[in-house]
Amino acid sequence: MPVTFTFGEMLSARSVIGSTLAELGETHDNLWVITPDIGATLVEFRDRYPDRFVDVGLAEQVSVGIAAGLAYDGNIPVVSGMLPFLSMRALEQVRTDVCYPNLPVKIIGTHGGLVGNGGSTHYAVEDLSLMCSLTNMTVTSIGDPVMVGEVIRQSMDMPGPIYIRLAVGKKDMVLYEPGQHEVRIGKGIVARNGSDVTLFTHGTTVAQALTAAEHLAEDGVSVRVVDMWTLKPIDAELIERCAAETGGRFVVLEDHLAYGGLATRVADVVADRGIALTSFERLGIPQVYAGFGEDEQLRDKHGYGLSHTVDALRRAVATA
Amino acid sequence: MTQTVLDTGPELSVAELEDRAFELRRLLLNLCGTYEGAVHIGGDLSVADILTALFHRGLRIDPKDIRNPARDRFVLSKGHAAVCMYIAMAMRGFFDYDEIVATYGQLDSAYGMHPCKVQLPGVEASTGSLGHGLPLAVGMALSGRHRGETHRVVTLMGDGETGEGSVWEAAMAGRSQRLGNLVAFIDRNRQLMTSFAEERVMFEPYPDKWRAFGWNVIEIDGHDMRQLVDAIDALPDPASDVPTVVICETVKGKGVDFMERNLAWHAGSLGAEDLERAMASLEASRTKEAR
Repeated sequence: MPVTFTFGEMLSARSVIGSTLAELGETHDNLWVITPDIGATLVEFRDRYPDRFVDVGLAEQVSVGIAAGLAYDGNIPVVSGMLPFLSMRALEQVRTDVCYPNLPVKIIGTHGGLVGNGGSTHYAVEDLSLMCSLTNMTVTSIGDPVMVGEVIRQSMDMPGPIYIRLAVGKKDMVLYEPGQHEVRIGKGIVARNGSDVTLFTHGTTVAQALTAAEHLAEDGVSVRVVDMWTLKPIDAELIERCAAETGGRFVVLEDHLAYGGLATRVADVVADRGIALTSFERLGIPQVYAGFGEDEQLRDKHGYGLSHTVDALRRAVATA
Repeated sequence: MTQTVLDTGPELSVAELEDRAFELRRLLLNLCGTYEGAVHIGGDLSVADILTALFHRGLRIDPKDIRNPARDRFVLSKGHAAVCMYIAMAMRGFFDYDEIVATYGQLDSAYGMHPCKVQLPGVEASTGSLGHGLPLAVGMALSGRHRGETHRVVTLMGDGETGEGSVWEAAMAGRSQRLGNLVAFIDRNRQLMTSFAEERVMFEPYPDKWRAFGWNVIEIDGHDMRQLVDAIDALPDPASDVPTVVICETVKGKGVDFMERNLAWHAGSLGAEDLERAMASLEASRTKEAR
């Protein structure tokens, strides 16, 4: 049954994953779900299609290997778990068993960024860098919980693998009205239009970016917020257009290492295309193993919280 | 339930299989003498009998119909024995041996050091990094069972490879998922690349490790074709719910006296003189066995 959501409402991305997979399980009898003991969201799928649900327990490597084996045989496997472990402990399986033969395995997980207060063992902060370097991998990071379902649906026809990164996914802000933006893998979303500076971001920090833009608007500064939710393939045309339309001023904000994630992807496009910028600043996690704290506290502590974002935008527009 | 007709060819006798295994070793040495780079000859020779038994008798496959859903799947987990598999498959009609010899390891050849499914259809999985084959086989076996098919998924691992933790994750998964259609052959040649296995890793009591993981264990001499055939014939019904491991005691370098149990021959290349010596030794080993 279609459910409508409104902007600002809190919704669980995990429940969207669960209901989307359950829905797709009906139309795709070759859809499988594999998890290393992260099953709470998947109960609906498990109960409806128990013979296409595999919980391997604490065993990330084999969860990805099994997915590859299933995909070799014509199935569409989804591996769902915690990203620090899927992206690192099972990295070689993702690279060699999935990406090398270009199999349609979907890796969907939570704990992307300094979220969940689990400490550095449980924060995936290098994952986008690792995943973007894998040939054949499509890499996404999604903040809007409703969009998660749409991306999973679209990915059903993909011939190769996709990585879908979420934050904690228990309580996420609905960012977009249904149908407000065209959601297409490989295309960024202009979440808020503006003409003085572009703020690129993805995932959990899109909400923070929109709030920062609101603050700047009070000073009469027009901030464009781009939700660059597909990091690979990157929307190079949009980046080029934003440079031309927002005075060549770029700020990149992300809940990932400041080097290796979206900022690096944007900088690569800037360098490769010879785009002349007025200013470029990146806000993200420095080279530290962050400690404990709530998400917002950690972002503030490590220099990419709301006030830092506002300050960076002010610096950008002050650059002639 | 898929009921697709599979033309698996005639069933070879033990004596015929022994002839094929000898021929496989001869063709392997010939390639090794032709190719300038190193070939993993030690571990190729230790699996020559196992691969012969599988490709010429154990596996229900049809080289003219490589995508038939009813076919048995074979995953070479010890991907460095690729060339031995290519030749065994060529002898079964999948590939052309002369083409393998002419192009092996060359730029743009599909016949590389480790098998690539994308470049070489007929091969079931891209492997090479150790400890990956059994997890893939578990996935394939789950898929086959789910579709109500009766084929088996067979993988071949080296014993040294089973030092990889992912093997044991898969051993638990295969048992937990009750995959009677899953079979692992282990080339127990007791050598790693640089050492004799037990000097470095305490594998023993090796069969007990598999029993402890709940697997059905068959122990055989991996160079005795009669025992290989009997083990294949003794595999449980694929619809049953316990996976099987066939632990094959083997000799790395088997058939060539100066390579057998010799750490220097994990991989190597053969000059003209070495090739002659190797072929002579292979001939002699056959004559000895015939007596």
